[in-house]
Amino acid sequence: MGLVEIATGKVLSSFSVFLFLTILLMVVARRISTSVLLFSVQSAIIAAEVFATGFRERLAEAYVVGALVLVIKVVFIPRAFFRLVDRLKTPRDVKASTTPTQSVFIAAALIYLSYAAVHSYGQSVHVPEDALAASVALILTGAFLMVSRNKALMQMLGLLVLENGIFLAALTTTFGMPLVIEIGVFFDVLMGLLLMGIFTFRIRDTFDHLDVSKLRRLRG
Amino acid sequence: MILLMPLLIALLGAFVVLGFRNPRVATRAALLTGGLEIASLVVVVWQVHERGALQVGRYLRADGLSSFFLINIAFISGLVLVYASGYLRHTGEGRFSSPRWFYALVFWFLFTMISVCLSANLGLLWIMMEGTTLASALLVGFYNTEGAVEAGWKYLMVCTVGIAFALFGTIVLYLAAVKAGMNPAAALDWVSLMDAAPRMGLDPHLVKLAFVFVIVGYGTKIGFVPMHSWLPDAHAEAPTPISALLSAVLLNCAMYAVMRYDAIVSHATGSAFPHTLLLIFGVISMVVAGLLILVQRNLKRLMAYSSVEHMGIIAIGLGLGGPLGLFGALLHTFNHSVAKSLLFFSAGNVRHNFGTLRMDSISGMSRTMPQTSAALVVGGLAIVGLPPFSLFISEFAILSEAFTQARYFVVTLFLVILSVVFGGFAYHFLRLLGGEPNSVPPSSKLIPSEYSVMGIAALCLICFGARVPHLFSVLVQEAMAVLR
Repeated sequence: MGLVEIATGKVLSSFSVFLFLTILLMVVARRISTSVLLFSVQSAIIAAEVFATGFRERLAEAYVVGALVLVIKVVFIPRAFFRLVDRLKTPRDVKASTTPTQSVFIAAALIYLSYAAVHSYGQSVHVPEDALAASVALILTGAFLMVSRNKALMQMLGLLVLENGIFLAALTTTFGMPLVIEIGVFFDVLMGLLLMGIFTFRIRDTFDHLDVSKLRRLRG
Repeated sequence: MILLMPLLIALLGAFVVLGFRNPRVATRAALLTGGLEIASLVVVVWQVHERGALQVGRYLRADGLSSFFLINIAFISGLVLVYASGYLRHTGEGRFSSPRWFYALVFWFLFTMISVCLSANLGLLWIMMEGTTLASALLVGFYNTEGAVEAGWKYLMVCTVGIAFALFGTIVLYLAAVKAGMNPAAALDWVSLMDAAPRMGLDPHLVKLAFVFVIVGYGTKIGFVPMHSWLPDAHAEAPTPISALLSAVLLNCAMYAVMRYDAIVSHATGSAFPHTLLLIFGVISMVVAGLLILVQRNLKRLMAYSSVEHMGIIAIGLGLGGPLGLFGALLHTFNHSVAKSLLFFSAGNVRHNFGTLRMDSISGMSRTMPQTSAALVVGGLAIVGLPPFSLFISEFAILSEAFTQARYFVVTLFLVILSVVFGGFAYHFLRLLGGEPNSVPPSSKLIPSEYSVMGIAALCLICFGARVPHLFSVLVQEAMAVLR
C-alpha cells in the first residue's frame, strides 16, 4: 500500500473528529452568519471525504459528486444565505431556546447516542464506525437545531445539516448512490431552499418578524 | 414513448399556461392542457391493460399498480381543474398568487405525482415525492394570509424532514441490496429488487430498518398520526381545489410508495413485520383522527381529519393483507378520493358564499343553499361508509378480511371508530344544515363548473356503490397481481 493510500485512509477516519467539532461549534453559535460559515466548513470536510473515497475506491463518479458538493454546499448555499440575511434586514441572532451550555451538553449527548446507535450495525456492514457515528450525529444535531432555534433561517440550516448527515451516511456505507439519483437529490435540496427563501420573505411581510415559534394561529 | 407523453404535457403545459397573463385565456389553456393530460393518461392505462407493463429506459415504468393510481390522478385532476375554473373567478393578480401561477403550479404538482407513479427506480421515486412537496407548497400558501403562510411553512418543513427520513430508508435498502450481491447500478430498480428480495432476506435487519424509516418518511406525507401535524393546516388554508388535490391524490401517491416498499420487504423478510407496522399506524391514525373529528370547528379541518382517518383505514387494509384486504385497500383509495373531492367542493361553495368555514357561525344551510347542502349530505353519507355508497363496499371488504383472519381487536376498534365518526359527521352536519338560517348568502345557485363536477362525483359514488364496474375491478386485480 502506497503512502498516499495510507494517508487517505487516515484522513477519512480523522474527518469525523472535525465533523464533531463543527457540530459542537454550531450549537453554541450566537449569530446566523457564524452558523452558515460553520455549515460551509462542514460541507468542505464532507467534500474532501467524497474525493478521498473516490480516490481510494477508484470511482470516477465520486469526483463529479464531490465537485457538486463543493460548488453547491460550500460556496453557493452559504452565499445565498448571506444574501438572504442581508435582504431580510432582521436581527442576526439565532434566537436559541437553550443556553450555549445546555446546547453543548445536548450535542455531546447526541454524539454519544449516535455511537451507541451505530455500534451494532457498524460491524455487520463493515464501515468505519466513526464515520457512521458522525453521520448519525449530523442527522440528530440537524433535528436538534430545527426544534431549538426559532429563526426561520436557522430551521433551514438545521435541515441542511440533517441532509449532510444523510449524504454522509450514503457515502460511508455504499460510496454514494448512483450519480443520477445524487444529482436529483441536489436539485431537490436547491429547489427546497429556494422555496423556503420565498416563504421567509412572506413570513416577514405578513408577521413582521422571522420567529417561527410565534406562528401559532393554527391549532387543533 | 407513450409513457413520456403525460409527463411532457404536464411539464410543458405549465410553462404554456404561465405565458398567458389574461386570467380567462390562462383558464382555457389550462382546461385544454388538462384534457390532453387526461387523454394521455388514459392511453397509458389502456396500453398497460392490453400489453402488460411498459418500460422506457431505466427509470420509467408503468405496471398494473401504477396505472391504477394513474386513473385516480386523471379522474380527480379533471374534476379539480373544471371546479377551479369557476372557483378562481374572483382571484386577483399577485406574485405566485394569480390564476396563471395557480394552474402552472397545479400542472407541476401533477407532473411530480405522475412521475411518482411512473418511477421504476426507488431513488427517482424519492426525488419526485420531495418534488410533490415543493410543487404544492406555494399552492398551500396561495392566499398569502397569515394562516396560509404559516400552513405553507409548516407543510414545507414537516414534509421535507419527514421525506429526509424516507431518503435514509432508501439508502439503507440500497445498502442491503448491494450487500446481497446486486449490481449497484440496478440496486434501486423496483423490478430487480423484487427479484432479489429473497436473497436480501438472509440479512433481515437492514431491510427492516429501511422499512421503518420509509414508513415514517412517506407516512408523514400520508398523514399517519403522529406525523400528521401539517395535514389539517395545509388542507384548511389551501384554496379548495388544492385541498381536494392534496387529500384525494397526494395522500394516495404517498400510500402507493409505501405499497411498493411493503411488497419488497414482505418478499424479503415475510409479511409479518411490515404488515404489523402498517396495522399499528393505521389503527392509531384511525382512532386519533376519529376522535378529533368530534371537536372540529372548521369545515375543512373536519374533512382533513377525516382524510387521516381514511388513510388509517387503507393502512389497516394493507396491513391485514390477503386478497380481500388488499382489494378493499386499493378500492378505498379511489372511493375515498371521489367522496372527499365532492365534500371539499361543497366546502368551497360554503366558503365562497358565507366567507367563512367556521361551522358554528353557519346554520340553516339546507334552506339557503339547497344544492350545496344536497352535495354535502351525499358526500357525508358516503364518507361515513353507509350503503348504497361505494365506500361501504371497500370498508366492508377490509372488515371481512379482518373477520376471516379472526382479528377481533381490529374489528372492534374499526367498528367503534366508524360509529364515532358517523356521530361526529351527523352532529356537525345537522347543525350546519338544520335550524333557522342566520345569514343569507349572496348567490345560492351553483354555476355549471360546480354542479357538473359535483354531479359526476356523486354519480360515481352511487354507481360504484351499486356494483364495481367490471373493467374497474379487472384493473384492481391487475394492480393486486403486481404486489403479489
